[in-house]
Amino acid sequence: MYNIDIRGVLVKGNKTCAQVSDDILRPLEAKSPPMWWYFAIFITLMMIGLGLWGIYVTIDTGIGTWGVNNNVAWGFGIINFVWWIGIGHAGTAFSIFLLILRQKWRSSINRAAEAMTVVAVICAGMFPMLHMGRIWDAIFVFPYWNTRGPLWVNFNSPLFWDVVAISTYLMASAVFWYVGMIPDFALIRERATSRIKKSVYGFLSFGWVGTAKGWLRFETASLLLGGLAAPLVIAVHSIVSMDFATSIVPGWHTTIFPPYFVIGAIFSGFGMVLTLMIIVRKVFKYEDYVTRSHLDAIARILVFISLIMGTAYTTELFVAWYSGGDYEMFTFMKNRVTGEYTFAFWTMITCNAFIPQLFWFKKIRSSILLVFIISIFINIGMWFERYVIVVTSLSKDFLPAMWASYSATFVEVSIFIGTLGIFALGILLFFRYIPMIAISEIKGILKPTSILKNDDHGKN
Amino acid sequence: MEKINIIGIYDDPDIFTDAVKKIKENDISIKNVFSPIPLHHIWDILNLKTRLPTLTFIYGVIGVVITFAFLYWTSVVNYPLKFGGKPLNSVSFIIIMFVATIFVATILTFMTFFIRQKLWPGKKVVMIDPRTMDDKFAIVIEKDPSLSSQDIDKINKLLKDSGAVEINEKPEPDNYIEEEND
Repeated sequence: MYNIDIRGVLVKGNKTCAQVSDDILRPLEAKSPPMWWYFAIFITLMMIGLGLWGIYVTIDTGIGTWGVNNNVAWGFGIINFVWWIGIGHAGTAFSIFLLILRQKWRSSINRAAEAMTVVAVICAGMFPMLHMGRIWDAIFVFPYWNTRGPLWVNFNSPLFWDVVAISTYLMASAVFWYVGMIPDFALIRERATSRIKKSVYGFLSFGWVGTAKGWLRFETASLLLGGLAAPLVIAVHSIVSMDFATSIVPGWHTTIFPPYFVIGAIFSGFGMVLTLMIIVRKVFKYEDYVTRSHLDAIARILVFISLIMGTAYTTELFVAWYSGGDYEMFTFMKNRVTGEYTFAFWTMITCNAFIPQLFWFKKIRSSILLVFIISIFINIGMWFERYVIVVTSLSKDFLPAMWASYSATFVEVSIFIGTLGIFALGILLFFRYIPMIAISEIKGILKPTSILKNDDHGKN
Repeated sequence: MEKINIIGIYDDPDIFTDAVKKIKENDISIKNVFSPIPLHHIWDILNLKTRLPTLTFIYGVIGVVITFAFLYWTSVVNYPLKFGGKPLNSVSFIIIMFVATIFVATILTFMTFFIRQKLWPGKKVVMIDPRTMDDKFAIVIEKDPSLSSQDIDKINKLLKDSGAVEINEKPEPDNYIEEEND
């Protein structure tokens, strides 16, 4: 009962199970998608085209077409990798942490968040491979029997840990996402009228029929994967942070990095979920399922995480001073707070630590437009955080003779735009062909929520 | 001989749960129940159990052992090579062992789920009542030839009294899922 009083009603309008199926499957069962959908697909294909051009130039001419140099060897490639991985944490954060915390309001959002995760992790995985320069040698990162000794990869390297963690994460989140959809595919199979649709969704549904024993195994398997994936989420971004933290570069060599990265990842993931769900509920008329109280709950989580982010930034600055290390002090005070990269640093602080604090006000939380704008600011702020971390530390380290500046070239920017296109295309296709709200889960929470106190929260 | 099933259809999860309980109490063997959502009480009533958690634990242990064996063999036995002054059998193996254990346990758990539940891509099924995917709940009781007509009447009456909105008799579909209760 505890979540009802605080959250308000989870599904509005006294829906029956049949209505839920009708509502959620409406965009899927429509004869043809709306015009804007085709237009959006067109735009994303243009973006992907630009990205493919960038990839072609990178592979054909070489990594010299990027703005990276001997000192700032990690530029856009790694910034965007970390940014996408961070966004990719939303799905698991929603599905797993809120599952463990028994937050029923996750049900209308988890499917979209999981889909986001899968696409974002695919986008993320492209960057380190492209950054290798010789993408055809990407296979070298895997430990396989070879004719060079056999020479194995360095199992003590954080970069290899990353390979293991990201591949595991992609696999686990994709499996979790797919298995969760099996009952919904079975529903579409039974409702489908056209033969093609029936056989396609029949194929995808794996022959699910929904017996009691089947549900028991289904729920148990989901919970088990939840239990396994929760530590995985923490591990993945901790390992990403160790790419930096196990080095001796000033600004990277700190123990705060693993928790700071994990929290940052969840922050950016929730920010992206908020952006996406606001668009989805409007465009597909899902206001009854993704209610204002859902958005309110995400905003409340964000204000809390934003405080942690602010604390982390302050702690970094404090430790730079308190440690008495000249190089740390220089990096933070002369190369971040002031200096060449001031703009990036203060954008990061403003967007991540200050602007989300506006969510303290109920007036702002209840204005969808303002919530949307703030969520965009969070996405931008988190991108700049990675920019600050990657670029500032590398640009000026121990030897002034080694100092260099970094600015991205058009090739790098176009690859980034390309991944934005892949992300948007993935989401658009997903909204057209896959139920974007977990139907069976929504039906499961109908009973204790819609019937009680519906009138009190009708205004929500 | 073709099997005939008596199918009680309900449209409310709570009424359905009570009905299953009542029928179970009357010593009528329930062949199967179908629902669009997981109903936790039904598992208790029908005394259904799964050994999946134990298996996942075993898979996890297998994952740890295999990963460590692989790391030890490659780094210490097959091609010993010093990196950064660290010992060959390094503590930092823990990180890969941690992640790889999750990898192995996840894959094997879901393979077990699919195999035990007999689910595979493209499997053809005929639902006993397609509406149970949407908003109906069904109890399936086999109309055994050994049952007397009083027994059948009793079953029908029980279904009706417990709130069934429909009671159908249907021959069993060819590829009906027989679930062993283990």
